Formats: sequence, structure tokens, C-alpha cells
Amino acid sequence: MFGRSRSWVSVSGRSGSNVHSLDRLKYMYHVLTKNTTVTDQNRNLLVETIRSITEILIWGDQNDSSVFDFFLEKNMFVFFLNILRQKSGRYVCGQLLQTLNMLFENINHETSLYYLLSNNHVNSIIVHKFDFSDEEIMGYYICFLKTLSVKLNSHTVHFFYNEHTNDFALYTEAIKFFNHPEHMVRVAVRNITLNIYKVNNQPMLHYIRDKTAVPYFSNLVWFIGIHVIELDKCVQTDEEHKNRGTLSNLVSQHLDHLNYLNDILIIDCEFLNDVLTDHLLNRLLLPLYVFSLVNQDKPSERPRISPQVALYLLSQVFLTIHYAPLVNSLADVILNGDLSMFSSKAEHDVQQGSADYSIRCFTKPHETLEKSLELNRQRGRKKHQKRPNYKNVGEEEEDEKPSEDIQEDIDKGKVAENTSKFAKGSGDTEEIEMVIMERSKAAEKSSVIKEENTTDEEKSEAAAGVHSSQNRPFLDMVYSTLECTEDDYYTLFVLCLLYAMSHNNGIDPSKLERIHLCLRPAKEANTYNHVLVERLIRIMNNSANLESKVRLATLELACILLKQLVLFEADCIIKDIHLACLEGAREESVHLLRHFYKGEEIFLDMFEDEYRSMASKPLNVEYLMMDESILLPPTGTPLTGIDFVKRLPCGDVERTRRAIRVFFMLRALSLNLRKEPETQLPLTREEDLIKTDDVLDLNNSDLIACTVITKVGDQVQRFLAVDIYQMSLVEPDSKRLGWGVVKFAGLLQDMQVTGVEDDSRALNITIHKPASTPHSKPFPILQATFIFSDHIRCIIAKQRLAKGRIQARRMKMQRISALLDLPVQPSKEVVGFGHSSTSSTQHLPFRFYEQPRRVGSDLTVQNSVFASVDKVPGFAVAQCINQHSVSPASSPSPPSSSSSSGSTGPCDSVTTSVTSTPSTIQSPSDDSSIMDQPSVYSQIETTEDNLSFPTWSRKSSLRKLDSEITNLAPSLTPAPQPTISLISDDNTDSLSVESLTLVPPIDPCSIHSFSFILESPLKSDLQKCENAKFCVTESADGNTKQ
Amino acid sequence: MAYAYLFKYIIIGDTGVGKSCLLLQFTDKRFQPVHDLTIGVEFGARMITIDGKQIKLQIWDTAGQESFRSITRSYYRGAAGALLVYDITRRDTFNHLTTWLEDARQHSNSNMVIMLIANKSDLESRREVKKEEGEAFAREHGLIFMETSAKTASNVEEAFINTAKEIYEKIQEGVFDINNEANGIKIGPQHSTPGSPGSHMGGQQAGGGCC
Ligand SMILES: Nc1nc2c(ncn2[C@@H]2O[C@H](COP(=O)(O)OP(=O)(O)O)[C@@H](O)[C@H]2O)c(=O)[nH]1
Ligand SMILES: [Mg+2]
Repeated sequence: MFGRSRSWVSVSGRSGSNVHSLDRLKYMYHVLTKNTTVTDQNRNLLVETIRSITEILIWGDQNDSSVFDFFLEKNMFVFFLNILRQKSGRYVCGQLLQTLNMLFENINHETSLYYLLSNNHVNSIIVHKFDFSDEEIMGYYICFLKTLSVKLNSHTVHFFYNEHTNDFALYTEAIKFFNHPEHMVRVAVRNITLNIYKVNNQPMLHYIRDKTAVPYFSNLVWFIGIHVIELDKCVQTDEEHKNRGTLSNLVSQHLDHLNYLNDILIIDCEFLNDVLTDHLLNRLLLPLYVFSLVNQDKPSERPRISPQVALYLLSQVFLTIHYAPLVNSLADVILNGDLSMFSSKAEHDVQQGSADYSIRCFTKPHETLEKSLELNRQRGRKKHQKRPNYKNVGEEEEDEKPSEDIQEDIDKGKVAENTSKFAKGSGDTEEIEMVIMERSKAAEKSSVIKEENTTDEEKSEAAAGVHSSQNRPFLDMVYSTLECTEDDYYTLFVLCLLYAMSHNNGIDPSKLERIHLCLRPAKEANTYNHVLVERLIRIMNNSANLESKVRLATLELACILLKQLVLFEADCIIKDIHLACLEGAREESVHLLRHFYKGEEIFLDMFEDEYRSMASKPLNVEYLMMDESILLPPTGTPLTGIDFVKRLPCGDVERTRRAIRVFFMLRALSLNLRKEPETQLPLTREEDLIKTDDVLDLNNSDLIACTVITKVGDQVQRFLAVDIYQMSLVEPDSKRLGWGVVKFAGLLQDMQVTGVEDDSRALNITIHKPASTPHSKPFPILQATFIFSDHIRCIIAKQRLAKGRIQARRMKMQRISALLDLPVQPSKEVVGFGHSSTSSTQHLPFRFYEQPRRVGSDLTVQNSVFASVDKVPGFAVAQCINQHSVSPASSPSPPSSSSSSGSTGPCDSVTTSVTSTPSTIQSPSDDSSIMDQPSVYSQIETTEDNLSFPTWSRKSSLRKLDSEITNLAPSLTPAPQPTISLISDDNTDSLSVESLTLVPPIDPCSIHSFSFILESPLKSDLQKCENAKFCVTESADGNTKQ
Repeated sequence: MAYAYLFKYIIIGDTGVGKSCLLLQFTDKRFQPVHDLTIGVEFGARMITIDGKQIKLQIWDTAGQESFRSITRSYYRGAAGALLVYDITRRDTFNHLTTWLEDARQHSNSNMVIMLIANKSDLESRREVKKEEGEAFAREHGLIFMETSAKTASNVEEAFINTAKEIYEKIQEGVFDINNEANGIKIGPQHSTPGSPGSHMGGQQAGGGCC
């Protein structure tokens, strides 16, 4: 390192004081004049001279303005150029580029900047053909351009853009690298273009539009398409997820492009946006993405991608780009368009020959970007005044266009064309601009009027029937793909697309209202899209199936969309029948979870952990659609590294986790739609817990004095208190006798207690806070040694903690049982602190006892769970209609009753296994011998082992479940396809009979029995209500026996 | 200049925290900050040696992209390492770290190594952010932490080189997909040609560290 620096120390390191001075610069100038030719001998000297000049200039900018005067006076930049032109190799060129970077990066005074920019020297350097194959030269060069683009503003623009010669080297040289193989270079190019578009200088923007926009955007769009086709190939040829890496890259690249296009569009430069929208829509999005949605089986010369890729990419488009003219046209084609726009254009194409570049087709630009730019530049040189419009190829436009919105866009384009044709002679730019703007505004207005008309038409059409769907192939495709018969591979994409469209604030709400997908409907909404809702409910039903192929992400998105469709700020407009179907799905999710419910400790941890991760990480559709993994067919193995919610479960534990989540989601949805608050989840609510600095009445509590020594060696005196869910360390409250101030509180369930080897009076206690995000690990909130006054107290403390831990967990398990409508055995154990809590709540030591009350009185819990079912009007309606309906489709059929008899099996077995479980937990905890063990934690582990059933019995019952599930409740089996659409049916609550057969909420027989219970409130003997579920199955069982 | 690997870094943080100065300080030793003049630059490269292997670091300053979402995400995506810089004399630059980090985690590939840098440690008298605070933030978010001064060059080498070491280790562990260039890692040409034109001079140029 020093060896190399010596070379310049010898030049510049004379004395610190004059290293930066005007004199020094004069000396450097002298060196330059003596070395105008670069040779091997003076190369090092020259490089060092240039480097020193850089330093002095930056110093001068901050300290001595005469430095810049001298630099300018002697025209020292010319020396730089002279050196550059001698092809002096990367060493010298690199130094020059670094120097330029530094100068423009570090100079603060505007006058200094103007000095540097004057005389066009910088432009000469920009057009210099450096050796771009050299990574470093390329890096310095593109950074130099970027730095310049940052300095570009209305004051400096004339240094770069020359109106008379039509030169704008900074821009045209930069965009030549738009497709450079090096990622960082491409990013820099995009950065430069955006910095330029941002400058609001009309002549410059006119130049960009007229001379560069068509070549640049057509090439850009073409390469995006090429990447998309590559991406599609990657999806189609994938085996065993081997293409993930490449795919990930291609997906990110697509997103990069979309984000870039969006950044251009939101600069909101109208001229550019028109050109860009035209190219993007007619050369890429419509002919490649939308076209690929349909007719995959028909051969076509047009390039295509597979429909799932098209759906995925279109979702990305709607999630990223919100520019109204673009997304409106695109959405309109998807929702209303048909194939004629492609075919009529194709005929047109044949007539006109291949020279027509305005056809709606994904085609290669006719010449390279560089060539186009060069040609345009020469053209500009010859006749300055000519302002060819941005579509100077393919001027002819036909009148008969299938879609109005496309028409609108084309109209705009045409306006621009006509005006420019008209203006060719005059050359008055201002005037042209005005005309374009006025005309396009007029076009917009007229289209708005048309729009309104169509909306009305559409509505009446919709009211009249659903025939219109016949010529909406794209919308049909979207709807039909929502069915997840095999798996949810495509379904997820359609949900994403619908979500993305409905959340795109560039799309005119009236467009979305046609399919009732609008987030904020204009009018008071009392109707919704029945087809969509039914298909969503079917996804939910399907997801509660044991063998379900619905991924959690799909379910969550379906829930979001359903809420969006029927839930508005104040009211929920869902029809009773649909709510009933949904309740059926929720019921099934309870069934599903019961299959996995085990009395084991780990179930509680999983249950709470799943709740936490779901609450902390709600589905983000934007992030979901950045993930390439969902582009490949759904898989189950975690070895792919795919996020749990985006794949199928693998193994029993994951299936349990999945069932837990399905339960949570459908429960939340059901509560949401019924406008009921969640009172049971999470099991531990932050606000119910004792917190540090709480002041507690401890008059009747057992307190054990101890010394707490933390890991870092701090030592404090505290009293240890054990509550229902928590242990706390308190110190006496100075104000009230018998009260204590909490200094620490932690959950018993997350605690580990171990003895200390050579000290019988001490315990090591650790409490971990479960990880809240995937990035963080569970970290200990307490890690300390507790020293008690003697070994008796130590044992008592240990016992109390261990018991508390077991009880805390058992209480929560009981609450889970309650949630799953499983019978709960009231705990005979004393809850909370010692004897005092046995009596009644008023004696309880702590301020709150919400939770134990909630759990302790099982019957009320049961009652409330049942009551909530009771409130569902859907059941009554469904039952009612079912009873009176004579439609053969809805009449109970023998197979369904036999299948419902099967359901007694799982219910029974689950019940028995669960009821026996708590007692099993209980016994070891009662056994005080447990405390003799050195480690409570390990003891509990063994307890778990003891708890588990003999393998044979559990296995056999499970196998039984599996086999029975297959012919179980009808809502678990795929429902038949809907034969009619309910869209037309928007003013009435009387539902067609057929609609009921779409998704039977539950077995008709079960409904009968339900109705029986509902009709006889006298029978609401709590115990019976609690077992309502079993009543149902029993009676169904009875049916079969008949 | 043959190298075994090329690692691309980006350097991020609020304006004025010293990103450009750190970059130049590391990539070009000739600009020694002895004359009370700190100069910055937005691109640079330098060769270092890890485990006997020549590794080229190429560093891109992300300045000038502030208002463009597309550019931010693209820069992140192309980098194997990121230096997240704040200025110890300006608390707001420390407060903004969370936003920077969220952005970085969201847009980068998951293996990108992030180093947290507390710059301007030479300005002890004007310090607003304690070293412990920086350390705690780094620990909480799983970052490497270092206090540096682009002005005195203190710890600058270490910051860049430790980041490279971490990336190198990840490559050895096989967690980086080095064949995917979007990860910000490039494998060097298989056979180095020592006598190739310009190579001896290249070594003398911006390289700086390769000696
Ligand atoms: N005292 C001191 N000043 C510094 C240091 N690093 C940068 N600076 C100054 O901080 C300002 C901003 O630096 P710069 O590198 O341009 O910041 P950037 O915007 O993050 O690139 C300049 O005036 C530098 O001279 C440092 O370590 N110590
Ligand atoms: Mg900077």
C-alpha cells in the first residue's frame, strides 16, 4: 500500500500547507503543458497530476474561488479531453472518470458547477467511447452520468440539451445501456432517465418524446416481454423446483421493470405517459399477458405464456401500476373485452403488410435502439423544425375498435398524430401542446359519458340475465379458475388478481362495480357478486377438509376478499344462506382441528404460536406476489424453503398447524361477518396480564422471600408470588401495607426451573419470551438464580412454580377445548394462590380474574359458543327452505344420511380421548414426588410422554378418522359446480332453490336435528346444549338405524 | 486483475452521514484525509484478500434515487453486502435506521449481509448517539456493528473487510447461490492472465488495497 502511494507523495507531499492552493494548481498546470502526449514514462505522473488537480478544485470550491477562475481561464478541461482522446488506456481513463465523479459529487457552489459545465466539454466526455468492457470503467462512467443527472435542473439543462443541434448526449448515451448485462448498470440507467424526466423543461421533454420515446419504449417493452417469455419457459420446464433461483431472478426483474414504468408514469409527464401507455398496453400487456389467458389449446402464431403465469404477472401489474389510463384500459379488457380486438387487428395486419407497427401485437422493434437514436438524430439535424410524432410509423388507424377504452387510447394517439401532421409546417411547439392537451381532455370527457352509459346498460343487462358473459372470455376464465377442484395452483393467482384490481386506485370504481368488486361503492350497496361469494365460500369449505389442497395463503386471501365483498363500514350485507354456508365451513374447521387436538403440552404451544404468527404477520398480497415460489405447482415439502402458508402441510405437526390456522381464520371471519367481538382469543391477552409496576393486593397470597441474582451479577431482594398464568417478583408497596409493587412478571408456561447443584437453597429460573418475528429468536426475559432462606422454602417455591406451570397450561388447554366445543372437565385443582382462591372470586388476591372466570365456569362458555351458533339466521333459513323445498337436488338423499352416521365415529373418539386427557395430566401434578426430581422441566417432558396414549390406540383411532372422513359431511366433499349465476338476483332475498344446492351448509339431517333443538328452547338445559353437536350426530345415527 | 470472487456492495443511509466519504476512503488510499478535506465518490472498487483468495469489492453508492421506489429496490437486489450508515452527531439519522432496514430486508435477497456503521466517530464532542445504542440496535436486528470515521480512516478498512468475510463464509457454507448474479456475487474468470495488458497498471490504480 505504501509502495504505491510513494509515487504521489513525491509529487504532492512537500509540505502540508501548500498542498491545496492556487500556486499548487498553477504548478500542476505547468506539468500538464509539459506532458501533452501520454507515454509510458509520464503516465503515472499524469494520473497523479489529474488526481491532485481534483483535490485542489474541491478544496478551492470550499475555500478559494480564484482556483476555479484559474482552471477556467486556462481551459484546463481541454487538457483532460486531449489526454482522453489519445486512447491512453484504462489507467488514465479510469483516473479521469474518477476525477469527474469527484468533481461533480463534491462541488457545492453553483458557480463552480457552471464553470465545469460550460464549453460543452462535459458533453464531449459523455460521448467518448470508453472501453466499456472494463467493469470499472463502466462503473465510473455510469456513475458519472448519474451524478450529472442529479445536478440536472431547469438552470443546468441547457448545458446538456442543445435545442439547436438536437443533442442530448446525457440521455441518449445513458439509455443505450438500458439492457446492459450488469444489473447495477441497468439500475443506474433507469435512475438517470427518471432524474431527467423529473426535470420539468418543456423543450427537453418534447425532444425526448419526439426523438427518443418510440425507440426507447418499444425496445424496453420488447425486452420486458422477452424476459417474460423466458420466465414462462422457466416455469414450464421446471422439474423438482430446480429452476427456483433463475425464476426468482426473472420475477424480480419483472417487478423491477413494472416499478420503473410506474415511477415514470407517476412523474406524470403527459407526453411521455401517452407514448408509454400505448406501447405497454398494445405491445405487451394485451397481446402477451391478456391474450394468454384464453384459448390455450388453439394453435396460434402469436407468442404466448401459460395462463397461470399470465395471471400472476397481471396481478403484479395491478399491484404496482396505478396510472389510470393504463389500468382502466387493461381492467376493461379483462372484465368486458373479447378476442375480437386481436383478430380484427390481425386481419388488418394482413391487409397492410408487416410495415404496420401500430398493430396490437408483441413484436420486435424494427431496429435497434442505437440505430433509431442515430437516425432520429440525423433527421433532426437536417430539418430542425420537423416534429415527427411519436407514432411516425403506422399512422393509419381503423375506426371499428371493439373496446371503447382502447378506442379512447387510440383516439388520444390519433389526436397527437393529427395535430403533429397539421403542425409540421408551423413548427409552433406551444400551440401543438395546447391542442393535444385540449383534445385529449375532450376525449376523456366523452369517454366518461360513454362510460356512464355503458354502466347503465350493463346493469340492465345484468338484471336481465347473464348471457353477456358469453362474450367475455377473459372474465369467464377468471371465474372458472376460481374453482379449486384439483388444487389451488391457479386459484391463488385469480384471488390475487381480483384483490389487486379492487385495490388499484387508478381503476375507475364504476368498472369494478360491474362485478361488485369495488372497495368503496358509489351507492348504498345492498347487493353483491353472488357467483364470486359462492366460489369463495367453496374455497373455505374445501380448506376445512382433511385432505384439502387449499394453501393457507389462498384461504386467507379468500377471507379478505369475502369481507371486502359483503362487509362495509356499518353493515354486512351477506345473505343468510351464504352466511349459513360459511358457518358450515367454520363448523368443519372445528371438526378438522378436533382431529388433531391432543392433550399434549405441545398443542398449546403450537396453538398460541400460530395465533401469534398469524396476528403479527397478516398476509401481504404485494409481498406474496413477489414470491416466485408460488409460480411452481404447490408442493408440500418444507425442504424447498417455501414459506409454510404458501405450501401444503407436511407431516402431522404441520397438518395440525394448518388446522389451527384454518380454525382461526374461519372463526375470525365468522365473528367479523356476524359483527361479534372476539372474546376468547388470544388465550393470553396482553391487557389481562400483570405488568411491571402494577400494585397488587397480596394480603392473602403466599409470598416467598428470596434473593434474585441476575446473570450480570445484580442482586436484589424480592418476594416471589405465583398467580394463575404468571409468576411475579414484587417488593412491598411503601404506601399500603400488604400490597406489593411488581418488579417483574413472566408467564409460567414459558418458564424453566432447575436446581442448583451444590446449593439446596437455590434455583435457576429462566423465562423465555417466544419469538415474535421469524428474524428474532426466543430470548430470555429472565435468567437468574433465586436464593431462598432455607432448603424447605426452596422446595416449596419449586413446587409452587412447577404446579403453577402445569396449571397455567392446563387452564389454557381447557379453554382450547371449550373453543373446540369439547367437553371441559372443571379443574378440581386449586387455581391461583393457595387456599384463598378456592372460595370465590372476591377473595382472589389480584385485581383481575377475568380469565379464570371465563374458563372456570365451563358451562357459560359452552353456552356462549352455542349461543353464537344460535344467532345465525342462516341455519333457520336453510332449514326452512330445505324442509319446504321439493327440488330433487336439495332433497336429502340416502347417501348423505349414511355419511352423517359416519360422523359419529370421529366425534366419539375425539371426545373420549380428550375427556380422559386432562385427568391424565392431573395425576402426575398431584404427585408431589415430582418435586424430588432435579429438573422440573425435564420432569414435565417425561410427563408428556406419560400423557400420550399408547400408540396403538391413537393410531387406530386416527386411521378410523381418515377412512371415515372420505365419506363424511357433504360440506367436506367438493360441491357440484354452480349451474346458474346469481348475479342477476340482486333485489330480492328470496333465493332460488338451485342456489341452495351449491354449498349445502351441513348435512340436511343435521339441520333437522338442529332445528329441533332451536325450536325447543326449554330443552336448553345447559348440558344438552353443550353437546348439541352430539345430539345432531346421535339423531343422524338414529336415522341410519331405522 | 483476476479475482476469485467479486462482491457488490451498496451503501445506504440518510444524506450527509458520510457514505460517499467512506466509500472513497476505503477504495482509494491516495485520498488520505490528512488535509482537513473529506472527499466522497459514488462508485469504487478495491481488491482485498480473504483466506488467501483475491476478492474484489465493488461498491455502489445509492444516492440520487431518493424519490424512486423502483431504483431503491433494484439496488438492494443486486448487492451481496450493504453498509447501513448513520451519523453519531445526528440522532435523526439513527432514528431512521428502522425504515432503512425494513426496506433493505424487504427488497434484498435474504442472504445479504448488512453492516451497521456509526460514522464520524472523530466528532466525539458532538456525539448524540451512544455507542451502546448502536450496538443494541445491531444486536436486536442481527447486524454487524462498527464505529468509523471517514475522516481519520478509523475502522473503515475493518468495516468493509468484515462484511466481505461474512459474505465469504456464507459462500463457504453454501447459502449463497453464487450462480445467480442477481445476488451481487460474481465468480472471477477461471484462469487469470497475469501478463494481460493493463493489468500491472490496473493494480496501481484505484486498487489501493491489493498490496
Ligand atoms: N468529521 C467528519 N466528517 C465527515 C465524516 N464523513 C463524512 N464527513 C462529512 O460529512 C459530509 C457528508 O459526507 P458525504 O460522504 O457526502 O455524505 P453522504 O451524503 O452520506 O454521501 C461531508 O461534509 C463530509 O466531509 C467523518 O467521518 N467525520
Ligand atoms: Mg453521497
